[in-house]
Amino acid sequence: MALREAPTALRRLARSTCTSCLRPSPSNRTYSSAAADDADLEPTSFTPPPRDASEFNPVGQSRARPKQLPASRYRFRSPKFYRGPLHPHQPPPPSDPSSRLFVPGPFSLPRLAQTYTSTIAPDMLAQTYTHVPLGQQRGPVGQRLRSWEGESPYFAGRPLRAPKGNAVLLPLHAPITFRNVPKIERVTVHTMASEAIKDSAYLHVAGMVVQAVTNVRAETHRARNSILQWGLKAGRYVSVTADLRGEDMHNFLAKVVEIVLPRIKEWRGLKGSSGDSTGNISFGIGAEGVALFPEVEVNYDMYPPKMIPGMHITVHTTAKNDKEARLLLSSIGLPFYGKLVN
Amino acid sequence: MEASVRLLHRYEMSATQHTLRRAFTAQAHPAKGVICRSCRAGIVRRHASSSAAAAEAAPAPEINILAEQIPRTAEHIPKAAPAVTQSYQMRAGVVLSRPPQITRDLTPFEKSFFLYQRRLNERLALPFTRYFYFRKDTPADIQYKRRVKERQTPARDIGKYNAYGAEGWNDELLVGAVESEPEHQMQELLKDAEEPTKEEETATSLEQPMPRITEADKLNDQKSLNRLLQRTLYLLVQNQQGRWVFPNDILQGRENLHMAAERVLVQTGGINMNTWVVGNAPIGYYKFDLLKPVVDGPNQVLGEKVFFMKARIMAGQADLATNLFGLKDFKWLSGEELQTHVSPLYWKSVRGMILER
Repeated sequence: MALREAPTALRRLARSTCTSCLRPSPSNRTYSSAAADDADLEPTSFTPPPRDASEFNPVGQSRARPKQLPASRYRFRSPKFYRGPLHPHQPPPPSDPSSRLFVPGPFSLPRLAQTYTSTIAPDMLAQTYTHVPLGQQRGPVGQRLRSWEGESPYFAGRPLRAPKGNAVLLPLHAPITFRNVPKIERVTVHTMASEAIKDSAYLHVAGMVVQAVTNVRAETHRARNSILQWGLKAGRYVSVTADLRGEDMHNFLAKVVEIVLPRIKEWRGLKGSSGDSTGNISFGIGAEGVALFPEVEVNYDMYPPKMIPGMHITVHTTAKNDKEARLLLSSIGLPFYGKLVN
Repeated sequence: MEASVRLLHRYEMSATQHTLRRAFTAQAHPAKGVICRSCRAGIVRRHASSSAAAAEAAPAPEINILAEQIPRTAEHIPKAAPAVTQSYQMRAGVVLSRPPQITRDLTPFEKSFFLYQRRLNERLALPFTRYFYFRKDTPADIQYKRRVKERQTPARDIGKYNAYGAEGWNDELLVGAVESEPEHQMQELLKDAEEPTKEEETATSLEQPMPRITEADKLNDQKSLNRLLQRTLYLLVQNQQGRWVFPNDILQGRENLHMAAERVLVQTGGINMNTWVVGNAPIGYYKFDLLKPVVDGPNQVLGEKVFFMKARIMAGQADLATNLFGLKDFKWLSGEELQTHVSPLYWKSVRGMILER
């Protein structure tokens, strides 16, 4: 309203006569844009005094405060339990440091990740590119699941049959473009200590080794079946895994490729037949290889002798077949030997 | 220019399926032109699908093949005089590059973000298990305790910060702080990695890592491969006309682009280069149209088309002493420098092949 734009003296007068029309409402609030408008305003405590950045001392300011701020009022605590969307106390998103689910990170930009984006991915694109002449389109995808052929009336509503000769439906392979260059998605490190049935120390050592080497909290797993020959009993904890993603994954792979594997004697490479034909490739490192990890080597004496386990490493890639996964792994420095099986 | 390297583009109609097929199977003939396999397949497919139309001798102007290749039988020779064939000179180019050798410099935002996240992690993580790594009362243990007391945290690269103390909230850096600088963090790590010594002995200092800025960077030696370690460097040569281009040459005989690229590399930079031609498909092309077609025998040359193959240099250095193309000079340039050396038209064609880093 016009009264808010009036000079101060007039506003004072107006306040004394009519206060109801001065109730603040967002629609008629005006913001002074020019310095000339501020001139006739009263100085408020909200105008920050000009400060030098070098004088800013939050700790000193806090110590100088006669009474500390009450934490209950100034620190947000995420609710311990979720009480539904209508509850006034809602948890913040997990990316908020005050959330109970917050996980800090990333802490760096790993070298392998940089090499992938700067070198490996463009080279793989050049290697796997298939030219499609202009105007030509990809042919239609054939029938992947078979329909039920026959007289039976029960065939009508049945789900489609699995492919012939193979119970598993393999993923479709799309031509590689700049959008779907295969990349490493995650790495699973697995260690089985079947002696843990007799002595749980084996499991503890395996967990410590996996954690030290991967920087990820290890998960323990029970045996599913009892197998007499292997001394396995169903339901007993026998193995340890760690699932690596992002930064941890890149650091771990770089360590394996550049430090551990080159020091293993007569290591031939990864077996060409490794892989699940959907782009995930596994390999193993024996106990003597695990001892070569710098994290284990630095305090090798702390691990009980003969208890350091070997480990299985599975590299999960976004490649849809093993051929492209092998191309990716060999470009990060993991060679393959023997017959290459897709 | 050889007759074998022409890609002819304007083919007059009246070609039946029979003639066409014979034309495409005539690839084995020496001194016949070059046409890529996929284009050939495309033409056959297109023709097969519209054979009825072709039977009516309808003009098919979209069909571009090598007119010369077609061995015309008497009944197939059109009444009109054969037109002059027009073609582009086919060339194979090589984009030889040296990939980045070191990690890139972080942006100021990344530096402060990473340090902030590390300090947050320090506040949230469980305490460091000292006795798993240091036996009690060993020199290493005593040294570790002294160092942690000094910096107040087990982490070596987050500066002096006590995550568990009453002032753990003070995890943000002030203006001008150096704790987030990788250089500073590296020095802190080196200081920490020094061997535990007795107090009277002087600490043994470790070897410093190699500098990220080399001598070639300081001298701006554009012939050196030790320059700009964080960037991809591309080999550019100065041809007889004085233009800066990627190494290239006319396709010879029946060689394919991959073979031609390998040949061009040897004939340009000599044998003292360990190179790898990546893939079999070109990564880009450059087309140059002459103002007026040049008549070359029965043909007209419209211009040139250069198809670029990607190659990486592993070791060695280019040496133009024995080059066969009369090249005057060479340089190893980053993407931005490359843009200033080549013509705007050339840059427009090749910029899609130049990587960001």
